[in-house]
Amino acid sequence: MKLTREEVNDIALESRLLLTEKELDGAVKYINNFLDILDSFRELDLTNVEPFSFAEAIECPLREDKVIAFKDTEAILHESEHVDGSYFKVPRIMEE
Amino acid sequence: MSELIFTPVIGIEIHIRLKSDSKLFCSCSTNTDAAPNTNICPICMGLPGSLPHMNHRVVEQGMLAGFALNCGIRPKSLFFRKSYFYPDLPKGHQISQCDLPITTAGYIEVHDSEGKLKKIRVNHLHLEEDVGSLHHSASDGRLEGASTSYVDYNRSGTPLAEIVSEPDVASAAEAVEYVTTLRRRVIYSGASEVELEKGMMRFDANVSMKCSDGRWGKKVEVKNMNSFKALERAIEFEIKRQKKIMLQGGEVMQETRHWNDAKGVTSPSRVKESYRKFIVEPDLPPLHISQEWIDRVHSRMPEMPDVRANRYVHDMGLTQEAADILTDDRKVADYFESCVNAGANPVRAANWIRTEVMRVLNETQKKIADFNIKPEVLAEIVKRVDDKKLSTTQAKEVFDYMCANNAGLDDSVKKLGITEGGVAGNALNEIIANVIKANPDVLAEIQSGKDMKGKKFKFLQGLVMKESKGQAKPQEVAEALTAALKN
Amino acid sequence: MELYELDLYDASNGIKEKKFSPAELFESCRKRIDSCEDNIHAFITRTDDKAPVIENPEGILAGVPTVLKDNLCTKGIRTTAASKILGNWKPPYDASAWKYLREAGAVLMGKVNMDEFAMGNTCGNSAFGPTHNPNDISRVPGGSSGGSAAAVSAGYVPFALGSDTGGSIRQPASYCGVYGMKPTYGMVSRYGLISYGSSLDQIGPFARTIRDLQLVMSVIARYDPMDSSCFREKHYDFSHSEDVSIKGKRIALVKEFQNFTLDTPIAEAMKKTKKILEDNGAVITEVSLPIVSKYAVACYYALAMSEAHTNLERYDGVRLGYTVKDAAGIKEMFERVRSYGFGSEVKSRIIAGTCLTEPSRCEEYYVAATKVRTLIAQEFKRAFGECDFILQPVTPSLPHKIGEENEDAMKGYETDLYTLPVNLAGLPGLSFFTGYDDASKLPVGLQLIGPRWSDPDILNTGVILERHLGSPKIANGGVK
Repeated sequence: MKLTREEVNDIALESRLLLTEKELDGAVKYINNFLDILDSFRELDLTNVEPFSFAEAIECPLREDKVIAFKDTEAILHESEHVDGSYFKVPRIMEE
Repeated sequence: MSELIFTPVIGIEIHIRLKSDSKLFCSCSTNTDAAPNTNICPICMGLPGSLPHMNHRVVEQGMLAGFALNCGIRPKSLFFRKSYFYPDLPKGHQISQCDLPITTAGYIEVHDSEGKLKKIRVNHLHLEEDVGSLHHSASDGRLEGASTSYVDYNRSGTPLAEIVSEPDVASAAEAVEYVTTLRRRVIYSGASEVELEKGMMRFDANVSMKCSDGRWGKKVEVKNMNSFKALERAIEFEIKRQKKIMLQGGEVMQETRHWNDAKGVTSPSRVKESYRKFIVEPDLPPLHISQEWIDRVHSRMPEMPDVRANRYVHDMGLTQEAADILTDDRKVADYFESCVNAGANPVRAANWIRTEVMRVLNETQKKIADFNIKPEVLAEIVKRVDDKKLSTTQAKEVFDYMCANNAGLDDSVKKLGITEGGVAGNALNEIIANVIKANPDVLAEIQSGKDMKGKKFKFLQGLVMKESKGQAKPQEVAEALTAALKN
Repeated sequence: MELYELDLYDASNGIKEKKFSPAELFESCRKRIDSCEDNIHAFITRTDDKAPVIENPEGILAGVPTVLKDNLCTKGIRTTAASKILGNWKPPYDASAWKYLREAGAVLMGKVNMDEFAMGNTCGNSAFGPTHNPNDISRVPGGSSGGSAAAVSAGYVPFALGSDTGGSIRQPASYCGVYGMKPTYGMVSRYGLISYGSSLDQIGPFARTIRDLQLVMSVIARYDPMDSSCFREKHYDFSHSEDVSIKGKRIALVKEFQNFTLDTPIAEAMKKTKKILEDNGAVITEVSLPIVSKYAVACYYALAMSEAHTNLERYDGVRLGYTVKDAAGIKEMFERVRSYGFGSEVKSRIIAGTCLTEPSRCEEYYVAATKVRTLIAQEFKRAFGECDFILQPVTPSLPHKIGEENEDAMKGYETDLYTLPVNLAGLPGLSFFTGYDDASKLPVGLQLIGPRWSDPDILNTGVILERHLGSPKIANGGVK
């Protein structure tokens, strides 16, 4: 199943990526090559196979419900160019 | 041609904020009232390299909420990544149990249009993280027309339960009863306080219409309802809108619509939803819950409000109305039961709580947990009235004094100068003796037989009543006074 | 002999015995970096401009310099993952593995080069330009942890940390002629490692002796509650001993791999190593891994990309790193930030990962891959019922020249066949030095893999191999 340039471009936009023509060419080739290889999975009978999880079946560790404040919130805010006062300011969200 | 009948088919998705001190995957406080962007850390900000770390208590809260909806608990559940780009979602995906949730199916009972009980099936409840909150710079603070938005990540990562119903709801009224009952049961379970004014409960509804001519309209997802009223109005609006389209022979489009509470309408959502399959969250191993753990948490489940209300009606003789009012808030019902356990008559205790206690709580904006009159003390007041130690008027006076002055029962009785059971016997005789002693001229007049019209006797009788602060019975005073004058 | 030539073990002991000071060692390493860095370009960010601050002078690594792959978060020090999109991001926290090193007294010389977000195997796919192989600066050092391997190989530092998602420690170790250990998945905390394929990523050390790998492992292999996939309860003993034996150990070759062609120096190294193992009492056997040999590459890339595209969703310019300030809408802002910030290879992998997890393809590709992975793990489990270790190449060929990258990206992936199944099954793998090719003078490495949690045993076997094959020399780094 080959993907067209248009389909690949749509997927790129969904991932918030604008591709140059050259990048799009590369991506189309890349993905179609890749899907060809993945088609080999059809040779395998996977009907009764469980999706992978580690052999030891480790359980989700749970932490106590205790508040430990992160001390350096200023350092987090400092890294953003969008901080305005104590908020992160972003451009309009609705797209016309 | 017979008239067409339209039946709404409605499914409801509810997000409830679960109660915990720290967030779902990090140790930041869940206090969303704090100054913006102060309860944040590398994890809830989705900083590169950070990893989620699951909160033990939230698992239990999820179980409790599940029990409240008559759901079973899955021994193994999984977390997934649900992807979409939005500035309030720091990782670009939400960690959610959407595909293998913590609970199995359950149900909530509501009354249909004929007043009969029907079950609204709950498909499941799952745990997920909340996103940050957005504030828009448009004049009305809304998204539309805003040129910029401000993000506060304090809410990012706070724990949510998403509850998905089957499309069993047939009217806006059923929807409201469903969410009201569900909310009350969840609060009872202790899983959440579901404070509506704090946005701890949010609704989406899937509405479609079935027509008696065999047509079935497409499903419309209505989002952004934050109150019972909004849910009711949005569903009513959508039913009307879809019915109109179908009556005109049109076709209802499958779409997502946004509820605009200010305008009272739904309108097509302009944000494109991408329906992506979720990948397993590789940073969180499966959540295993043992039967022993399930049993332990289940043993903490209190009796549910409807079951409690039935018991009050059948075992204690309360009216359905009284029982419903008392069980609306678990803490009030607990208070009532403590009161009864301390020996108060259930019907009269219920009346006291519904009228006096709730009035004072209302006036003082207090919660029953902070109410100064403990249930055992209220029971004592009720008993004293029953035993005629206090008149109803006196009891209310004492009650108000206790509330206003944060005083004890006996102290208040004393302060108010109330003699329980009234002034009689020796106490009365003593007053009479004192009154006579203080008025020798009046005594002389009566004894001389000049008081033909009994004016002087009535004068003394009045003095005695006054001295007893009105707590002596007039008949008794007359008899005792007559006897004293004969001596 | 210069101090920078000492391995970690001797450097650490020398400081403890006061033969030299940490400042002298630091200075020697710094000079070595100054003399080679123009040729090698291993660093993205150097932090050796001021005298070392030793957090724990009593620690087991007190005063020993190190470098970190630039996908490990360092508090207050720029961390880029070799991507433009992270800009000048200074993390507000340390990766746990680095914290453990710091607390043991290690000194940071800087953050080193890699392929962007660890996607690549040449260290040429970096926003900061390529790193060169210190053994032959016209060649690639391998990747993605090429900067770490090059820094250890050139004698910048006695040890370094890298990360391995599909061979990113073992392949550059082999190309640069040093030892590299990819621990069992869950052995070392990933907290603070910028994720590529979360269920495949693992942090591990590079060094010039096996005993140094053991020493570093003893510090970083520690339970960390911040990483939910990190092991608990058990303790693993990485202490070094020369008194180790492989008598009676069954060491297997993979039957299906015998048909693949290897460059002569690598085939020769296989023969030589086999003989050493036999001479030391091991039994050479054969195991069959049919599904691994046929499907592992496809399975690996399907999973790595599916996980990667969700790991990279967070780079939107709002909270950190590169951004634009004049976008008219949020969608435009996200698109411009991501389109400029990510390199082409990363974009291709994001699109591939998104494509595989679309509802229409998810079952066929992503879910199928998670099931194939189960089969692969089962196949290894069965194989390790029949043997103790598997001996195999790291790559079929020696490092190629810079600029001669394989045009066909997928063909490049097949050279990963020896390394990436190890990550799919979460196994430990040691890339070890076997000697230098006579003709090219390039180092030749091989790989020993074992069942999950056999990391200490693999390293003990490495001690014997090192004794007979010799330790690598410090590469000239382009300095005559």
